[in-house]
Amino acid sequence: MDFSRRQLMQTALTLGAMQAFPGLSYAQARPLVFATFTGSWEEAHKAVLVPAFRKMTDNAQIVLDPMLSVDQIAKVTAARANPPIDVMLHDPGPALIAIADGLVEPYPVAKSAYYKDLISEAQVDTGPAPFFQVVGLTYNPEVIKTPPTSWADLWKPEYKGRVGITNLNSTLGTGFMVEIAKMHGGSEANIDPAFAAIDKLKPNLAAVAANPGALATLFQQGQIDISPGNFNAIQILKAKGVPVEFVAPKEGAIAFKTTMHIVKNSPNQELAFKLIEAALSPEVQATLMASPYLIVPTNGKVPMTGEIAKVLAKDTDELKKKFVFQDWKAINAQRSAWIERFNREIRI
Amino acid sequence: MPGGHRRASSAFLVPGPIAMATTATPKAPTAYDLKLALPLGAFLAVFFVAPLAVLFLLSLQSDPKGTSYGLSQYGNFLGDAFSLGVLGSTLLLGVKVTALSFLLGYPVAFAYTRVGARLKSLIILIVLLPLLTSVVVRTFAWIVILGRQGIINSALLSMGLISTPLKLLYTESGLVVALAQVQMPLMVLPLITAIGRIDPNLTDASAALGSGAWRTFFKVTLPLSLPGIIAGSLLTYAAAITAFITQSLVGGGQMLFMPMYLYQQASTLQNWPFAAAISIIFLVAVLAVVTLFNLLGRLSRGVASA
Repeated sequence: MDFSRRQLMQTALTLGAMQAFPGLSYAQARPLVFATFTGSWEEAHKAVLVPAFRKMTDNAQIVLDPMLSVDQIAKVTAARANPPIDVMLHDPGPALIAIADGLVEPYPVAKSAYYKDLISEAQVDTGPAPFFQVVGLTYNPEVIKTPPTSWADLWKPEYKGRVGITNLNSTLGTGFMVEIAKMHGGSEANIDPAFAAIDKLKPNLAAVAANPGALATLFQQGQIDISPGNFNAIQILKAKGVPVEFVAPKEGAIAFKTTMHIVKNSPNQELAFKLIEAALSPEVQATLMASPYLIVPTNGKVPMTGEIAKVLAKDTDELKKKFVFQDWKAINAQRSAWIERFNREIRI
Repeated sequence: MPGGHRRASSAFLVPGPIAMATTATPKAPTAYDLKLALPLGAFLAVFFVAPLAVLFLLSLQSDPKGTSYGLSQYGNFLGDAFSLGVLGSTLLLGVKVTALSFLLGYPVAFAYTRVGARLKSLIILIVLLPLLTSVVVRTFAWIVILGRQGIINSALLSMGLISTPLKLLYTESGLVVALAQVQMPLMVLPLITAIGRIDPNLTDASAALGSGAWRTFFKVTLPLSLPGIIAGSLLTYAAAITAFITQSLVGGGQMLFMPMYLYQQASTLQNWPFAAAISIIFLVAVLAVVTLFNLLGRLSRGVASA
């Protein structure tokens, strides 16, 4: 094949321009952009959700752009009229912020094939919850021979200097505090009992981790033997051979809805809807429930199997009984004050 | 600054009559064209000065929605003993890390200037090695070293010196040690340059005039290496107080320093105006410390040339 210098130049310039101004090539048909979370979330979504979406949409283009919830909100806020993201993924706290800021489109419930099959807690018309995150007690079975049964076990004197918690920067840490408050007569609106209880926990505290991920490291290093922990994170550690077990406390495991939202003004409304539909479908949820992902399904038509049936719940009825959902509207209203207070009071 | 000196001295060197004889003012041979700095200047203007200005404007918002402007965010920080405590402990952390890096790094740099070529390259390799691995990796290594089942604890346990593991991780002393190691190259490299520049004849002269080794060190070597000490301390200090990763992984969640405080406000709480105010205050505090170091540097030049 023969290329003239001019042709080569033209091609090079075009390619260069496309590289420098990606907007040029996206202007006509931008692929669907889904901001998932980093790590195991991205892996699970890439392996299961994306292929299901492609199948459903006859190979529509999709791009995963993993980032934290707060970064998703920042990016969409900065370009409301022409958002760089079509579908957001949020923990309950940030989800409420995104909704309050008017960044999300209501979910077209009437059009949805799967929405009505979701368990009632997952039916949110600003963006349904295809996934639950579950927080319970995690412990090292090599050191702690009798499995803990209650949050109150953290206060046992035999765990002196062996307990780990995280600060309130994370959903996990915040949810844990609310549960402790409830245990001592408080609530989302009254956190005081939790602070009093954490004060009594100080002799047992070996570490206040800066984030839930750091808790995993502390388990691996034998720095802590028991802590509140995320079911999925623990399964990943377990798979790596770290001696760690998860148990749902008798007060109920804390469940967080992880919701997907269509971004307002997204040019890909229809594809965004299809992606969320795929995530709600029993096929995708059943695959994600299996090892290695072990993500708790929210579609009532998915029968519970495997590790989730063994450790968490056999069916949706039991799940509803064993899971505790928290009022994040009330939590968000006071969270900054709590973080401030935690900064000041919890020093070990 | 060497540039400043050179320009000043060249002005003295140009004799008056010659300058008057030529019609066009001659360019000093050492003067350089400022235009050469334009690309970097433009780059900094767009990517550093402009964002900084935006940050400053943001810090003037009274609330995250930006309904009114004022200095209330600064008032919130400066009028709050807790926030000031966080600032103070961060600045103090830097001092501790810098002091430790200096105490451990100076002998290394001193040894470097007095050994053979082969040992020299070995020392340089050992000093540079940490720079070639990421901070995250180095920090995780410290978690492995300081943990309950870590190297230090298992060594002490097996020697029978302790019966239960010591708490080393998530303590301030653990953090200081880890940061000192992580930032060590920043201290050692300027020191090596400074000590290497000292004329060996000076120490010989001092010895010949009857000074002992220690007296020679304190009277000659140490003062002459002051520029290196200042430069190394400045780099180590700045790196230590802003080391978000090491601070949060080795220090843990209950020790709050400025970078984590800032992250918490900006990311978890989405309170950007207060976070912006925190960063401006942190910036000013660090600039104040840098100015102090520079003053010391100027004094040290006085010592060095005396």
